[in-house]
Order: sequence, then C-alpha cells, then structure tokens
Amino acid sequence: MKGMLVVLRNDLGDTLHSKSLLIVVSIIGALIVAAAVGVPIALHSWLAKGPAWEEAKPLLELCIGLAANYVPLIVLFSCMATWATDPIAKEKAKGPIESLLATPLTARGVWIGKSLAIFLPAYIIGLSATLIVILTMNLAAILPTTGHFVLPLAAAFTSFLFLPLFMLALVMVGIIFSLITNPVIGQTIIIFVGVVLMQVVGQVGGRILWLLTSWDYALYNLAGAVLLGMIAFSLSRSLTKEKIILSSKGRWA
Amino acid sequence: MDAIRLEAISKQLGEREVLSDVSFTVKQGDIFGYLGPNGAGKTTTIRILLGLLQPTSGKATILGDDVSRDEARRKVGFVLESDGLYDNKTAEENLWYYTRIYGMAEPAERIDRVLSLVELRDRARDKVGTYSKGMRQRLALARAMTHNPELLVLDEPTAGVDPSGQMEVREVILNMAHKEGRTIFLSSHNLDEVQRVCNRIALVDRGEIKLYGELEQLQRERSGNEVEIETTEAIAEPLLAELKSLSRLGLRERKGKVLTFAPQEGVRIPDIVSLLVGRGVEIEGVSKKEASLEEIYSAILKEVEPS
Repeated sequence: MKGMLVVLRNDLGDTLHSKSLLIVVSIIGALIVAAAVGVPIALHSWLAKGPAWEEAKPLLELCIGLAANYVPLIVLFSCMATWATDPIAKEKAKGPIESLLATPLTARGVWIGKSLAIFLPAYIIGLSATLIVILTMNLAAILPTTGHFVLPLAAAFTSFLFLPLFMLALVMVGIIFSLITNPVIGQTIIIFVGVVLMQVVGQVGGRILWLLTSWDYALYNLAGAVLLGMIAFSLSRSLTKEKIILSSKGRWA
Repeated sequence: MDAIRLEAISKQLGEREVLSDVSFTVKQGDIFGYLGPNGAGKTTTIRILLGLLQPTSGKATILGDDVSRDEARRKVGFVLESDGLYDNKTAEENLWYYTRIYGMAEPAERIDRVLSLVELRDRARDKVGTYSKGMRQRLALARAMTHNPELLVLDEPTAGVDPSGQMEVREVILNMAHKEGRTIFLSSHNLDEVQRVCNRIALVDRGEIKLYGELEQLQRERSGNEVEIETTEAIAEPLLAELKSLSRLGLRERKGKVLTFAPQEGVRIPDIVSLLVGRGVEIEGVSKKEASLEEIYSAILKEVEPS
C-alpha cells in the first residue's frame, strides 16, 4: 500500500509537469468553452419559444444525459489514451522500471500506483469539464426560463461514479497489458474499448432517448465496471516482476 | 553469515537454460568479481539475486534471507546495466524517490552524504538528462547507497564510461567497500578493473561456473613455475641461443630485457641466475610470474570452447 502511494505520488508529479497535460487541458478546455457557450445559447433560444414543461422536460433531460455521458467519456478516454503508454514504454526501454522492481515495491503496487496516476488527473479534468457543461446549461438556459434545475440522478451517478469506475477498470486492464507485454497493446485495448463505448453511447442515445438518463443505463455502466474490474483482478494474479522484466528491452542479457 | 549464497541455481528461459547449477558464496566484506562473456548468465544471476527473476530450481539467499523476501531487498543496493535514473528529474529528486520507496524517515542528511560521497553535491539540482555517462553512474551508485544497504550489487558499473569516468567510479566503489564497509558484488567485463578491486571472483560461461575462489590463490595456482628475470640490458643473440639450447632451463620467451623461464624439475632459480651472472649479465630483478586475470580468463574460456 505504502509503495503503491509512493509510485502514485511520483507518477502524478510527472503527469502534472508534463507537456501532454497542458496540451490535453488546452484542447479539452477549448471544446468545453465552445460547448458551454453554444449549447446554452441554442437551448435558451428554443426555451424562449415557451414550450410546455412536460414537453420540454424529456428533451432537456436527454441533452443533460448526453452531456453527462459524453463529456466524461471523451475526457477520460483522451487523457488515458494519451498517458497510458508512453511513460511505461520509456520506463521499460530505458530501465527505471527494472530498478523500481528491484526495490521492495511489489509488481501489484507498481501497477495500481501507475493506473491511479493516470486515472486520477483524468477523472478530475473529466469531472470539472462535466460540471462546467451541466452547470452552464442549467444556470444559463434551463433555470432562468423554466425555473427547474435538470440533472437526473441516474445520469449523475453514471457520469460521476459508474462511468469513471468503468474507465478506472479499463485503465487497470490496459496498464497490466502495458507492463507484461508491449505497451502498445495496452494502449490499443484502451482505445478499442473507448471507441466502442463512444459508439454505443451515440447509438443508444440516438435510438432510445430515455435510456441514457435511466437507472438501467447507470447499472449497465456499473456492471461493465465490475466485469472489467474482475478481469483486471484476475489478470493481476499473473502479474509478476519476472513477466515485466522479460517483456522489457534486453530480456536475455 | 554469507552476504550471498547461491545453491544449485538453474534458470530456464523458454527453451534455453540460461543458468545451470550455479553455486557460490560471497562473504561479508568481499569485493566479489563476477566475470563472463556476453550472454554468459551474469545479468540473469543478478536478476535472481534482486528477486526480479525466479530461479527454476535452487536456492538464493542474501544475508540469510531468501531473495524472494522483502527483507532481502532492503539489505541490497544495486546499479543495474541501465542506470534506471529519471532524466526529467534532478539528482536530488531521483534520490528522494528511492528514499520514499525504502520508507526512510528523514533522508535529507543521507541524500546529502551520498551525493558528497560520489562528488555530485554541486550538481544535485541539475536534471539528470544533462549528466555525462560517468556522472550518471556515480549518481546510480549514490542511489544504491541511500538506504544504507549492507550489500551492493553492481552490474557493469563502468560500461560505456570514458577512462577518467571509470577511474572515478572505481574510486567510489573502493570507498564504499573500505570506508563504508560494504560487501560488493561486481559484475564486469573489465578484467583490469576486477583485478584492481576484487579479492574473490567467479567466472561464468554459458550458464555454468567455470572458476571460483580467492583471486590471489587462483593466480598462484594458474601461474605454474614460470620465473621472470629482468636484466639491465637486453642479452646478446649468442647467449640467447645458448640459453635456448639448454632445454632444462625452459626458456619461454624474451621480451626486451625480461626473460621468462619454466625450469624443469631439479633446476633451481639460483642456478639460472648464476649461469647468467657467469656470462656477464647484470640482473635487475627476479620474480615468480603470476598469471594475470586476463590470462586465466582466456585459458578457461579456451578450455571450455567446443571443439
């Protein structure tokens, strides 16, 4: 546990001082500002026409549901795909990973520390971006015209808890593969699952309008997170220092 | 208690047996040289010692603890083939990271001390990416020392370092052994370096230990009965021919003013000296020829070469 926290602290520091963080935050920031300005303006002009609350409510919930699902998904996915591979690939090729493993740190401690060091900043950025979008939609457009604050509880749980848990489990699976195989495989897994998930959210959101804000959908996310978590746990049982070393450069030296 | 004890260690990687029945011990206070050509199994041995690889069979202990236990790793400092330093961090930050891993309470003073030991205190706040290879190796040695281990395992610590850097690194190693009282396990290609600093050695080739013991004793054992006689001037050709004709003297070679003899049984060294003096040769010195580590190494590898 203590070793894991040391790795987490070190890798978090590296992420926070990296140029990639600046680039990711700049791009996401620009998109969020555009969304936070554009969507409320569109909503405001529609709501100004005075649709009945019963008529407007499902559509507003869908808009909030889409934002609550898509924004954290895109942010978490972008951050994780950016940070999940390169540092581990460098550490494996240049040797720091071997030196780390020669200390009393456990392979599991290194894995969890590195996974959390990728997930936590991604989660904080995703959470902030989602809150900004949802709050501006409500405060700038929905609340002034309808007098209601729209945030379905199920969508909130999905956005702030279940989807991030799913992404945490995904990054943990990706990092295991990065550690015991070629790091590109880990990144490919994260990108593949992330892209499939975005497609699913898009398709579901477009066809079954109520689903994204339902408890059913929230529980699907939770079930996905549990399933991936179990896969990560089961894979972690075969995570050994030897596998990490043998998958690194110069293994036969 | 032995600092390192390897008992019948074997390691299979895929189809290949990288180590086969390797056994040796390193005593506390030793500077132990671990020699062998590329691919001989040196790094695999070190990885087993550090708990990075599991032996297929056999047992390895460090200061009495099995190498798979955390306690064993806390007693070891190491420099691996690749220094494992973070280029984007300063020397101090690199060391701080490791002090946290080892759970050291107030490491500032210790960090300062080890940086002084490797003479990098004035560059402590520079990024490691700006360091020369020699400086990096010295920093890696400092990192190995931060948690005050009893044993240092060093894998090719001077590889790729220029001659002056090698001297600096060697100096640090000797300081660690003599001033800090550490046991040192030094894997190296550099025979000259091993001969200068080590008191005991093991030679590994194709995963098997071919030679093991006290360096001085091995040198004596491998030297045979060769004697070197140095003269004040190179001897003349007629005398050389005469010495060659006396086969019982066993003249092996003449290199400048030095004659090497391997006398047959019954011929005493004073007899050869008397003969030379009788021919008007002035003797500068007489010494029993000691095999160099390089000669021992070459001879062993030749012996084991497949025909």
